[in-house]
Amino acid sequence: MSLYHSEVYFPAEDTHLLLEAARRVLRPGDQVLEIGTGSGEIAAGLLQMADRIVATDINPHAAEMAFSRGVPVIRTDLFSGLSGRFDLIIFNPPYLPTVEEERIDDWLEYALDGGEDGRRTIQRFLEVAPDHLTLQGRILLLVSSLTGISEVSSLFSKAGMIAFTVAEEVCEGENLVVLLGMRDLCRV
Amino acid sequence: MKRWLMDILCCPVCKGEIELSVTEEDGEEIMEGSLRCPACSVDYPIHEGIPNLLPPEPEGE
Repeated sequence: MSLYHSEVYFPAEDTHLLLEAARRVLRPGDQVLEIGTGSGEIAAGLLQMADRIVATDINPHAAEMAFSRGVPVIRTDLFSGLSGRFDLIIFNPPYLPTVEEERIDDWLEYALDGGEDGRRTIQRFLEVAPDHLTLQGRILLLVSSLTGISEVSSLFSKAGMIAFTVAEEVCEGENLVVLLGMRDLCRV
Repeated sequence: MKRWLMDILCCPVCKGEIELSVTEEDGEEIMEGSLRCPACSVDYPIHEGIPNLLPPEPEGE
C-alpha cells in the first residue's frame, strides 16, 4: 500500500485478529458485508474466499483505498444505504472511549471515537444489524477490554442475539476480543 | 461499482428503491453516474466507481 492516506486507519493487531477470525468462520456461498472497512484490509483479504462481499465506509479516503484494492465499496453510514440481508457481517468499530477534549477533528476520528463509553457506534450498529442478517446469519465484532466486553454482550442480548468470544489477544495493556453474534433462536 | 450492487442498495433516508443512471463505465465497473430516489427526489452520485449514499446536508443552516 504505497499510497496510504493519513486519515485512514492503518491495519493493526485488531484488524489482523478480526481477519483471521473471519477466515475461520466464513462458509462457502456466504454473502458477506463489512461495515467500516477502512483501508479494505479485511474485505480484500476475503475476496477470494467469499461468494459475494461488499463493504461500506463513511470516510471518503477509506472508500477510495478499499475500491483501489478491488473491494466493492459503498460510502454510507453503517447500514443506511443497504437493503439486503447477509450471512456474515464483519465490523471493527470505533471502540475507544473518547471524551470531547480528546477528539481530533478529521476522518480518522470515525475509525476511533467510540463516544464517552466506547460503545456509541456499537450500540447504533446492533440496533439495526438484525434487520440485515439472514436467519442463520452471524456477526463478527471486534471489541476491546477498554470498551467493556460484558456491556457489549448485553447490547447483543438487547438485539435478541447471543454472542461469544471466538478470538482473543492481549495487546499493549488491552485485551482485544472478537465476538461472534447470532440470533438467539430460542427467542425468535 | 458493480451492477449487482443494485440488488442491495436503497435510499438511505426512506429505504425505498433507487434508480441507476450510468454516464461512464469501465468494463464491469460503473465509474460515473447517479442513483436517484424518486420518492425523495434526491440524486446520489456515483463518482470514481464509488456510490455515495450519505444523505444530503440539510439546507439553510
